[in-house]
Amino acid sequence: MVTRRRMRGYTLMEVMVAMAVFALFLAVFFILTAEMRGWDKRLPVSMHKHPSLMAVLARLRRDVLDANSRAPYERTHDVYTSSQQVLIVESVQPNGEVHVIVWDFREPGEARRISYDVGKKREWVARGLPKDLANVEISALKTGSTSGWATRILARDGEGRIAIDQIYQPRATD
Amino acid sequence: MRRSERGFSLAEVLAAFLILTIVLTTSLLAFLERNNRLRQASELVLAYQALANEAEFRRRIEFDQLDTSKKSFITDTEILAPLAPYGTAVRVDHKEPGVKHVTLTVRWHEGKREATLALVRVDTGGTNLW
Repeated sequence: MVTRRRMRGYTLMEVMVAMAVFALFLAVFFILTAEMRGWDKRLPVSMHKHPSLMAVLARLRRDVLDANSRAPYERTHDVYTSSQQVLIVESVQPNGEVHVIVWDFREPGEARRISYDVGKKREWVARGLPKDLANVEISALKTGSTSGWATRILARDGEGRIAIDQIYQPRATD
Repeated sequence: MRRSERGFSLAEVLAAFLILTIVLTTSLLAFLERNNRLRQASELVLAYQALANEAEFRRRIEFDQLDTSKKSFITDTEILAPLAPYGTAVRVDHKEPGVKHVTLTVRWHEGKREATLALVRVDTGGTNLW
């Protein structure tokens, strides 16, 4: 029986070479992907991937910067009591008025900013923050012997790595 | 034998392989570059948080104590843990009377990557305003 080349199929050698080339490509792809995933796992949740988080921090920073540097923080206000997840700060607004600002991080994935003007209450809520960034800790610290109290915002991701560590302090006034 | 039954010539197969290799290599390189840049950006975000925190402290140190202050970061640098091993450095330069330039540096990736933040401190004669 006469068989033409197309009907004969492939030799073992041809199949082996084709599989070796394909396997080489797969190996390169998987090694590089695994390496990148390893790097990604080493790094915590990144702020630049969450613009809403950056907006929250920028606004909070401005509130602390514009705070009355002599006595910027309050223990309680309205229904709020300051804690590791609630910051109460007296902040000077661009029009010169002093507002009491409450930052509430108790709800996972949300940040609330409640501004109290005389008799008026305004609320701004940022939703869609990374859920695993729920462990926000707000603390006060001294940055110098003669300076006032600064605010430190610390947040860890789901694996306990610090993703946010920011120190803000009221502008110096003399 | 008709053309459709002849299969491909060696030159045709090689040309097809060449095109496939170029497409695959380019895609893989673009993919790697993108991930590399994302990683570098994430690392910089961590480094600049540490730098900004240190700057808050350094701007409140008394002007005449800047030279004798610690030459590495005073602040908690746990945020830099994913970059380990890393190093921090603080340099104070006097370029003109009454002015000190404070340069804060974080180095990681065996010193190949670096982020710096510079502060200019002026002797106000009074409290340590920035």
